[in-house]
Amino acid sequence: MGRRRTWTVAGRVLRQISRDRRFVITAILAPLLLSFFVKTLLDTTAIPSSQQTRFVVPFGAYIVHFATFILTAIVLVRERVAETLERMFVNGYQQAEIIAGYLIGYTTLATVVSVLVLSELEILFDLGYTFFQLSEVFVVIWLLSVISMALGILVSSFARTEGQVIPFIPLVIVPSFLFSGIIVAVDLLPVWAQVISRLSPMYYANLVIQEIIAGGTLVSNLGAFLALPAYGTAILALATLTLRE
Amino acid sequence: MTSHNDAVPAIEVDTVSKRFGSVTALDEVTIDVPRGTVFGLVGANGAGKTTLIRILIGALRTDSGSVRVLGLDPWSDRRQVRSDAGYMPQAPVLYGDLTARENVAFFARGHVSGNTQGSVADALEFADLNEFADRPVYTLSGGVRQRVSLAATVVHHPHVLFLDEPTAGVDPELRRQFWVRFRRLAESGSTMIVSTHQMDEVVHCDRVAVLRSGQVLATATPKELLASGGATIRVRTGDQWDEFRVDFLPNDLAEILHDKGLDPAVTRIEVEGPTLEDIVLELIDSGREEFGGA
Repeated sequence: MGRRRTWTVAGRVLRQISRDRRFVITAILAPLLLSFFVKTLLDTTAIPSSQQTRFVVPFGAYIVHFATFILTAIVLVRERVAETLERMFVNGYQQAEIIAGYLIGYTTLATVVSVLVLSELEILFDLGYTFFQLSEVFVVIWLLSVISMALGILVSSFARTEGQVIPFIPLVIVPSFLFSGIIVAVDLLPVWAQVISRLSPMYYANLVIQEIIAGGTLVSNLGAFLALPAYGTAILALATLTLRE
Repeated sequence: MTSHNDAVPAIEVDTVSKRFGSVTALDEVTIDVPRGTVFGLVGANGAGKTTLIRILIGALRTDSGSVRVLGLDPWSDRRQVRSDAGYMPQAPVLYGDLTARENVAFFARGHVSGNTQGSVADALEFADLNEFADRPVYTLSGGVRQRVSLAATVVHHPHVLFLDEPTAGVDPELRRQFWVRFRRLAESGSTMIVSTHQMDEVVHCDRVAVLRSGQVLATATPKELLASGGATIRVRTGDQWDEFRVDFLPNDLAEILHDKGLDPAVTRIEVEGPTLEDIVLELIDSGREEFGGA
């Protein structure tokens, strides 16, 4: 893989993102607005505020997962339809360079979204975490955002048209909410649903977040924490293998 | 490595066939393209021109037959072939939100490992894009976008160029400019395959293959093609019409017309008519003068 070509793709993607102000504003405001909706929802339930933190950060993580997955789910298929993907290949760019370039380019936006969502949650819910705990939660959410983008790229590389991407979106997003352990403990789910839960990065992110909330650290559940980068690497490898001209 | 042996044709296509389901896109096509020449693929839409070009750049695999580009198989050695080839798609495939310069630089960096600034400037100059270089592509007209696409195709100085209907939807003046540039590239040693469905463009090529329904009907020089057309001459003497057919339209009609009673004192009658392209270009030029220039 050529580092120079990867950074060229990343630079081009960043330049395009920065020139599309409406896209940038929407990509940042939408998760912030959704986080506010979570606050409204939890305030209307009978859950005492001391108990709310069990849900707040996982909900925030889920919003980041959703928002960043959507960001990239359409990008490669858009390039395919516009034939710029083929032109990139003909001009010497390789699968891994294109995917890594896109990931690097969008990671900037995902980092901003992760920081802002976590900051909003801290302000709205007064989480009372130490700076160290907040930093650890940020690492998990940030990793989740990068993995979600990789998942979006994988889905995008399967589709031939923009329309074909649409059915994939609920297929990824809905099970990752229902079966990741945020609202119901995974152990209580039927076995088939437990298998599905482990196919979502949200499951591993929730495990690590619950450890941190309970007073542990990133490495208290080392298996779950390492599962996140391993999951991301596997998704990226799959996306590279499946990306065709 | 690609072969730069002048004795080997730049492009060799040997009995290549390609089907898409029940549709035969190419049917045993055979062509050879010598180095440094402009080779035209002429035919109506659906004749198989784009399929052949996509095979030559390694985007499609043949069903049968063999293809060599600069001595290599474009499917199995596609990275090497592409590093020495330029491909201009039919539509100007570019990033609309980037400037012309950014587009050309982006596509250059796929092939060129060093500093690309000089190559990009040269390519923009070659396509006469200096005044548009820093404008976003979405603000440019269709013809200028085609020029940006051409600049992105030649920026890495490829030895072989595949241009898929580069003049489609382009006005006659710009078409003429394009062909001047293609000729300049050929003179500098590049080999070019240019597809077109505009038959009058045949005259710009060194050699052409006429395709129909995936088959090569003829491979010839433009002169040979023109000669193969022949001509019908009608002569009226009083109320009498005589009609006869000749294989070649002669430059001198006098010789033929002497047999029809033409005054022997007339020793030569030459006929020379403008081409359709000449007429349109002349009209554009005279219009410009009339309206005070462009």
